[in-house]
Amino acid sequence: MLDRETTRRIEQYRRNEAGPIENNLIDELVAGEMDRTEFLRRGAMFGLSAGMLGTLLAYVGEAGAAPLAQTSRGAVKAGGTIKVGLAAPAGPVEPYLLNDGGALAFAGIPGEYLTFTNPQGVCVPWLATSWKPNKDATVWTFQLRKGVKFHNGQTMTSKDVVASMKQYVGNKSSNAGLSPYFDAAGVSAAGPYTVVFKLKSAIGVFPYLLSQTTYQAIIQPASFAAKPGEWVKGGMIGTGPFKLKDYQEKRSAQLVRNDAYWGGKPPLDGVNVTFFAINSALVLALRAGQVDLAMQLSPQEAQPFKGNSKFTYYALPTAAHRQFCMRSDEGVLKDPRVRRAIALTINRPQQLAKIMLGAGQVGNDNPFWRGFQSTDRSIKQRTQDVTLAKELLKAAGAENLKFTLTTWNFLDHADHAASIQAYARDAGITVNLEIMDGSKYYDSEPAGADYASTTPWLNRTATLTEYGARGVPNVYLTRCYMSTGDWNASHYKNTEFDSLAKTYLGAPELAAQRKATKRMAGLLLRDTPVVTDYFISYVTASSSKVKNYVPEGISHVRLAKVSLA
Amino acid sequence: MARYILKRIGLALITLVLLSMIVFAVSTILPGNVGRSVLGPFATQESVDALNEQLGANRSVFVQYQDWASGLVQGDLGTSLTKNVPAWDLLGPALSNSFKLAIVAFLICVPLSILGGIIAGLRYGKATDKSITIAGLSFSAMPEFVTGIFLILVFAVWLGWLPVTAQWEQGAGVATQFKYLLLPAFTLTLVLFGYIARITRASMIEALDSDYARTAHLKGLPASVVVRRHVLRNALLPTIAVVAVQIGYLVGGLVVVEVLFNYQGIGSLIYEAARQKDLPLLTAGVLVVGIVYLTVTLVADLLYAVLNPRIRFGSTE
Repeated sequence: MLDRETTRRIEQYRRNEAGPIENNLIDELVAGEMDRTEFLRRGAMFGLSAGMLGTLLAYVGEAGAAPLAQTSRGAVKAGGTIKVGLAAPAGPVEPYLLNDGGALAFAGIPGEYLTFTNPQGVCVPWLATSWKPNKDATVWTFQLRKGVKFHNGQTMTSKDVVASMKQYVGNKSSNAGLSPYFDAAGVSAAGPYTVVFKLKSAIGVFPYLLSQTTYQAIIQPASFAAKPGEWVKGGMIGTGPFKLKDYQEKRSAQLVRNDAYWGGKPPLDGVNVTFFAINSALVLALRAGQVDLAMQLSPQEAQPFKGNSKFTYYALPTAAHRQFCMRSDEGVLKDPRVRRAIALTINRPQQLAKIMLGAGQVGNDNPFWRGFQSTDRSIKQRTQDVTLAKELLKAAGAENLKFTLTTWNFLDHADHAASIQAYARDAGITVNLEIMDGSKYYDSEPAGADYASTTPWLNRTATLTEYGARGVPNVYLTRCYMSTGDWNASHYKNTEFDSLAKTYLGAPELAAQRKATKRMAGLLLRDTPVVTDYFISYVTASSSKVKNYVPEGISHVRLAKVSLA
Repeated sequence: MARYILKRIGLALITLVLLSMIVFAVSTILPGNVGRSVLGPFATQESVDALNEQLGANRSVFVQYQDWASGLVQGDLGTSLTKNVPAWDLLGPALSNSFKLAIVAFLICVPLSILGGIIAGLRYGKATDKSITIAGLSFSAMPEFVTGIFLILVFAVWLGWLPVTAQWEQGAGVATQFKYLLLPAFTLTLVLFGYIARITRASMIEALDSDYARTAHLKGLPASVVVRRHVLRNALLPTIAVVAVQIGYLVGGLVVVEVLFNYQGIGSLIYEAARQKDLPLLTAGVLVVGIVYLTVTLVADLLYAVLNPRIRFGSTE
């Protein structure tokens, strides 16, 4: 039974504070359209406080809301310096240029973001404490955390956030994926701790896009943000739990505890980072005790640590996946029946077990990973059916189908391509493999030619390309599947799909998002421009003396709560 | 002698100029570009173009070379495009590291290999000779990657005697640095042992079979004196030339060993510059390694001349 005070508080909130989006959310909860976990995810994303979430759950008869921020587990022993092994940054560690795993993992130790997409897929407050959209989700207002200090002692205000965001979207050579959503004029301060984003179009999940999954969006002091390229030289000043003491390019870095960290004093005294050029050296160093914690490893590399009492093995399901794209506009794969037939040859559970040693989840030829709250779980899973594949090929007049699958020598790509080749052979399809060097696969062909129309990864008949984890499928949809997408390697053009994608992107309500993703998934199963046969877990390992470490799907190494036994 | 040295230095300068031109010319046929390499495959073409323009990487190779060469004349090796720091700031520490590893490897490898070759030559055709020859050949045929991992597993992971990586803590002393360099040095020793020992062995066999060695024996000199005074002095001359070439390799050609032991030497730095099309860094790196090669070769030639009177007298005739 609810007391009168709780009811009054909810009614007051709905009347005075909640906008249409928040009220829809509450209506969906009351109507039983989403469970407790989903409500927590959505509520956090729309900026409802933890207290209000708990009250609302109690209102519909659920238990109180679980704490949203990361909590430490087990006894915490203070002190000690952790030795972390990271991939050597391939490029600069400047936020606006971040591109590779090693660089973003390193930058993410002293640097932090406005929001954080946690391992459960929940977008939680971080440097921003709350946010609120307008009625059509085109304007988002963020309230910043008060009392946050940069490593140089300066207090973080809206001026720093605005300057950082302007750098990412205003700099021509910026790598940040935020420019499609707002431009430099679209971000402004509305008070010392309030930042307003005016978006180019409605985005129902905008807070996710400012989390660490857009790894360039680190909040820097305004003085550094105004001078792109000065962040590392200036000591990588951020707000994170550890601050830089020494950095030897490609070799090592030393960080010490930030005693003024807003999230509480971290247990560790410091972090010693060693950069590794190859993972095999990192694995050996972990085995020999020269590092305590490694960043992402392949399932094969991590295998010796699994079930070994001296080590802890981590496998975090993520939305990272490979896209086997087939040209839908020309050539031998133009007929959707042919593409469907190819997809039907694959035994996905077997493929996942063999290539990724089971560290992942089976895909269904769409980017809607089951961990996304917008994914409709009722979509039927595609399974291997070689007989149907042969029938489809016959109907399409492509019984002796031959094509070349192009990819590059990276991670599991060669094995993955070989498995597609082997499965296709069962249906009489001949797949030739073209395994390139990365610099060729991702360059124009010939060098200097128009990039978009010549680069192999966007123009070959069939390609296999890697995509990193995201908290929401927005980037995959807008850039890989929509007609206007600049990474649309299958050249898929479907106006109905585009319209559904736009509906999804602008819909703050979960029900509308799910409805759209279900219909999009149906179209993708029918047209099969892309085969997404598996999603990949983030796999790594640490020494068993590392306590309270929680991996993160993008490769960030979060050490604020970590301690050493 | 002075004229000879000046002539060799002149030739070396011409070689270095040609080397730098070749590096720039060859880079034009390599795929990839700096902007794409920095921003990654998924950056927009506009961002890549903007970065290339900002870095000056969109200019023709000829203009870039001209720019780099005019800086070099004034003592400036250029600025790394991908790291945005003077090339020497990266090359200096890397070269210092490479020298450290080369010295440790040299100190272990050369005496061991020469000793192995001498013993094999003295025990020609016997089990000791065959064991040394076969073991040396087997190790030489094995990739450094395999021997390196084997040594790491045995000495670092299982026995725990030596560190896995060759990266010591900041401010470590000479003894600690030496300890960290032992495993990569042993790996290089296994790679080079067979080659150097085989050359020494062949020279030893030839010298032992020579008329002057026979005469010395017939004169009644003890075998140890014959070997020390007559055989070794002649047999080691070809070894000097071979060792000199290996020093160049030890300083500038150790990409695999450096990567495996996570050691920041000049070999892996040049490899990465080539991969990222960082032309100023690549060319400066190649130039530095070229200077090391040419210097070592010149020193070896001079040493050869000092040890071999026939060459000395031949040059003055």
